[in-house]
Amino acid sequence: MKALFLGGVAADTYAGIKDELPAGLDNVVLNDPVDRALLPEAVAGADILVSNRWLAEYPPPTFRLVQSVATGVDLFDMAALPKGCAVCNSFGHETAIAEYAVMAMLALHHRFFQIAGEFRDHGSWATSWVQSGTPHGEVRGTTLGIVGYGRVGREVARRAAPFGCRVLAANRSPRDADPGVDRVYPLAALDEMLPLCDTVALCTALGPETTGLIDARRLNLMKPSAFLINIARGPVVDEDALYAALQSDRLGGAAIDVWWQYPSPNEPNRRGSRHPFHTLPNVIVTPHNSGWTAGMVRRRWDEIADNIARFCRGDPLINLVTTV
Amino acid sequence: MKVSFVGNFGARPEVANTILAKVTEKIEPTILFDIGDTQRLIPALADAEIVVSHIWKSDFPEAPNLKFLQSPAAGLDLIDLPSLPHGVDVCNVVGHEQAIAEYVLMTMLALSHKLIDIAIAFRDRSSWAGGGAGGGPLHGELLGKTIGIIGYGKIGREVAKRAVAFGCKVIAVNRSPISDKGEAAEVCPLGELDHVLPQCDVVVITAGLGPETRGLIDARRFGLMKPSALLINIGRALILDEEALYNALRDKVIAGAAIDVWWRYPNPAEPNARPSNFAFHELPNILMTPHCSSATDGARDRRLGSIATNLDRYVRGEKLANVVLTT
Repeated sequence: MKALFLGGVAADTYAGIKDELPAGLDNVVLNDPVDRALLPEAVAGADILVSNRWLAEYPPPTFRLVQSVATGVDLFDMAALPKGCAVCNSFGHETAIAEYAVMAMLALHHRFFQIAGEFRDHGSWATSWVQSGTPHGEVRGTTLGIVGYGRVGREVARRAAPFGCRVLAANRSPRDADPGVDRVYPLAALDEMLPLCDTVALCTALGPETTGLIDARRLNLMKPSAFLINIARGPVVDEDALYAALQSDRLGGAAIDVWWQYPSPNEPNRRGSRHPFHTLPNVIVTPHNSGWTAGMVRRRWDEIADNIARFCRGDPLINLVTTV
Repeated sequence: MKVSFVGNFGARPEVANTILAKVTEKIEPTILFDIGDTQRLIPALADAEIVVSHIWKSDFPEAPNLKFLQSPAAGLDLIDLPSLPHGVDVCNVVGHEQAIAEYVLMTMLALSHKLIDIAIAFRDRSSWAGGGAGGGPLHGELLGKTIGIIGYGKIGREVAKRAVAFGCKVIAVNRSPISDKGEAAEVCPLGELDHVLPQCDVVVITAGLGPETRGLIDARRFGLMKPSALLINIGRALILDEEALYNALRDKVIAGAAIDVWWRYPNPAEPNARPSNFAFHELPNILMTPHCSSATDGARDRRLGSIATNLDRYVRGEKLANVVLTT
């Protein structure tokens, strides 16, 4: 049995789980940037792929298990995988991302970056009660709308509810509302939910129904004071429309962790968008790392090692997304 | 009924006027911002049955008619209680505890996730380090962490309620014994602080300033904390030893801190006064805010509304709320 660990994240995963992998498994690691010349030999006869992608132009594979090192499998070209191949994803990130979403919601409502930045840089007490500063917001009593009520969305709701937020959610497939959640709308009724929200957290997967979901029309349905948090995927939001809304104060602000474009070996400091979101004062920008905690990596590695062992033993797999 | 709003908090226009707009009973207000204006302070205190002030100095003029002192703040540390006449009900305000608890969770998360460093490096240099896409070091999270809360009153309980939803374990420490543990796994007396500190990933100071808490966290106690520990202070600055905190952060005795309450405050001559004699603003591992954790719109509305209600209660002869003590 042969396993190919392809790319930087997979290489790190291999280093983290090599002692847990089944004995006798032949492991090949190709780190980023992937050397295409080495790829045919690495792929030949491999039963297992551990990676975050598989492209159509790669050599024809013989995989029977594709184990994604991420939750999203949008970078895997399913048509290029052998029929019958199981595609599994991995989790362990949902609690860390939920922490980020609540942190970003708090930081936006409390104007934390402006206040802490002014105080550190200029000694300005202008927001303090001792200086009669303008009060900032709080999340108590506000309405949080969670778009995509899956693993991440549920963890966000669980953490936000004790703050005294009213929690609403929208989901593609029908879901029951957990305690603390007022209502779960079908995604088709998103337009009803958006005008009610002081914060909208995008926690959905990227797919045909969610690509461009938050467009200019829907941004206009939101309150002008509302904050948008995107920890899903960049293309869930219309890039031009969001920039225009933020720049014109048509929206209160945003925290953006996922982007429309990513760095490459040639361009390691590539901006995440063709628009300068980073220059807007009401936007918190982070480099797709909301879930990137030490705890998440350990949880995820353990899941991946477990799944590889299951595959080798012939036991049922966990986190099966689809069978090609 | 004569009510005097005194000092640079209670007599601030947006405070006094908002309270007056909410009071329904008939009162005769006097508003005196500058307590150094003795000519006006003498009559303001001589006639008043009610005073709204966060401060009362030992050299204040006589207040023979005073029955009710309403502070617009939670802490009474600027009120010199022995100088008050006998039989005065001293009340504070609440309604800020939810806002402060939000601040505590926000800073706890921001320090653990290294939010400020990561966001600023990404904003200024488009650095993807620390990101899944760009590799780099991982940041921390709250799940599974132990939070020590020193001072388990209203604020401490609101912090605990939110922290447990993040999968944290809460150990509370309190001066007086507590029967209702709330969301805390344990509540310890202040005497056991030295056993609690080494267990904590985050230490939150929500205590008031008093003889038992002044200088409570000194160099020795920083040494008891984990090197990875984070400290959050929203209580009062003097609970911490100023130099010991500076040294602990500079020398990485602890990993980081979020500080909202300070040793030095601005004055008209020095509106941008640095908040300490030590250059905390030059340290990379501290989040600094200008005593604003409670300065939310919601807390302001709750607090000023509760003061107006208390003034109405007094005029109607009803029982006062939030009586801390009677002199």
